[in-house]
Amino acid sequence: MSSAPSTSPAATMDAAPQGGPDAVDWSLVRRQITGILRLEIRKNLLSRRAFVLYFLALAPVGLMTLWALFASPTEYISGPIEASRVFALTYVGYLGTSIFLSCVILFMSLFRAEILERSLHYYLLTPVRREALVVGKYVSALASIAAVYGVSTLLLYVITMSPWGLGEASRFLFQGPGLSNLLSYVGISILACVGYGALFLLAGLVFRNPVITAALIWGWEFINFLLPAWLKKISVVFYLKSLLPIPLSEGQFSVMADPIPAWISVPGLMLFTALLLILACWRMRRMEVTYAGDD
Amino acid sequence: MSGLDDLGPVHDDAAIVFDNVSKFYGDVLGINRVSLRLPGGITGLVGPNGAGKSTLMNLMTGLLRPTEGQIRVLGVPTDQPHHLFHKIGYLTQFDSFPAHMTGHQFIYSYLRVHGHPHPKAEEMTRRSLERVNLVDAAGRRMAGYSKGMRQRIRLAQAISHDPRVLVLDEPLNGLDPMARSEVIEVFEALAEDGHHVIISSHILHEVDMISDRVVLLSGGYVVAEGNVHGVRSEMEERPIQILVRCDKAPLLASKLFELDIVVEVALHDDRKGILLRTKNAPDLYGHMNHLVLEHDLKIETVTVADSDVRAVYAYLIEGEST
Repeated sequence: MSSAPSTSPAATMDAAPQGGPDAVDWSLVRRQITGILRLEIRKNLLSRRAFVLYFLALAPVGLMTLWALFASPTEYISGPIEASRVFALTYVGYLGTSIFLSCVILFMSLFRAEILERSLHYYLLTPVRREALVVGKYVSALASIAAVYGVSTLLLYVITMSPWGLGEASRFLFQGPGLSNLLSYVGISILACVGYGALFLLAGLVFRNPVITAALIWGWEFINFLLPAWLKKISVVFYLKSLLPIPLSEGQFSVMADPIPAWISVPGLMLFTALLLILACWRMRRMEVTYAGDD
Repeated sequence: MSGLDDLGPVHDDAAIVFDNVSKFYGDVLGINRVSLRLPGGITGLVGPNGAGKSTLMNLMTGLLRPTEGQIRVLGVPTDQPHHLFHKIGYLTQFDSFPAHMTGHQFIYSYLRVHGHPHPKAEEMTRRSLERVNLVDAAGRRMAGYSKGMRQRIRLAQAISHDPRVLVLDEPLNGLDPMARSEVIEVFEALAEDGHHVIISSHILHEVDMISDRVVLLSGGYVVAEGNVHGVRSEMEERPIQILVRCDKAPLLASKLFELDIVVEVALHDDRKGILLRTKNAPDLYGHMNHLVLEHDLKIETVTVADSDVRAVYAYLIEGEST
């Protein structure tokens, strides 16, 4: 083993940024977040946890493929326009199960899994502001899940249209409302990950057993159509449903609420997400690492 | 030799300063009213399991927040990780790693999280692996490492960014004699370069040879502090406190106070007991026997009042032979 060097390379990073010792060195923060993304995206997309995510994203695609191949949909569905209504129904289920569960698994694990495997302290012993750690982890998970569900939503839509052949399906896609609808669905999938992601990241930081919390949130989202109009607004799914390109009836027992225009629901969801992330940063700043009682 | 006597100001850019720091886990005491000033060089934190060594280290590195008091490491408060961890590296007690990583990936990835660009992170990784003699195993997954290798890779990670302060919780655990002497060489080289090296151990002998000073902890309190020989002689020469309850306490107090071996005698308010301090307990007991017979004293109890601290010291010394 060699002896320690007399000069410290870290000294080059010691210097306070211009503007005083408390000013934020944004260039350093950007490099640190890039470092977090490097580590986390690999974990999100290549670990054992990632296989569950792939399964949840691809299982609906597989089921839809079986339907397109073996259920002869052209016999009872008139064409791509009616198929797009079938897709709209399918998509709501996909949103409430596959995307929801994937967000639970991925975002809740961001901190909770590292607390359980007793490795979170390696992050906390780096010169990274804890707020930057929250943002880095959140962005990494969002980028990973958005990529997976962007592709999954696209495949699901294309496969739904595939029984009508390349000609009719592409006419619907490129000359009809198909492409615009498809982009809306991909956008809604990503927005769902934005909202649910922030919610479950916070739950993973606050609760020792976040599974119960996830089940309660799922129940609340599931019964959203039965809730009074003012309570509907305290949910993620309400804002997402308002963005659906083909509005759906929620059944005779549902309580009607005025749909919210996209210019309110998208910023509203973003604001909700920002509030949750601020709470997560606050929680993270106060966090102590003992790992006691976290087994 | 109390740290309170020579405590410098909290804003001391050359030292690690604890100013009246307490930490409670709910109702459970971690450490209580600790005031310390740790200058450069190697400092050993010694005490039995549960003495508060890890708590002190976790407080020093911001993993825990003090319930009371202030801590500054080279002038930096411990709640500012973005400043603190340019200066400090910590080998914790947690023998765990992020899953599925090789030794090289482990060190390199966290250097990137520090904000170092690729070529510099690569160079720092190589150098830290060389320091702990793990270059050959760096490409293997850490899950297959032996305990000694795991300890060395964690040490490499703690020193990889060349911190000025190195905090090491039981760093010699699991190392074979060869690796121990190599690791100790690293600590000594760092200390010679003016770094602060804080090492914890439950065996006094383990840090005795390499430490410039030791802090002896017991039950969450600092019971002695200073250079190793000073602490040894303080503990060995420390007067024992003995509590005696009897029917003629004022008479016994006056007779015992005449003895050279008695340092101090205090009479209880109820005049039925005395608290005395002596450097030679066996001789004192002999004198007391004579006084009992001579003055017909009725002794109710004789208790050593500070046996806990002595027991701790005995425990630490016994550890030397293991």
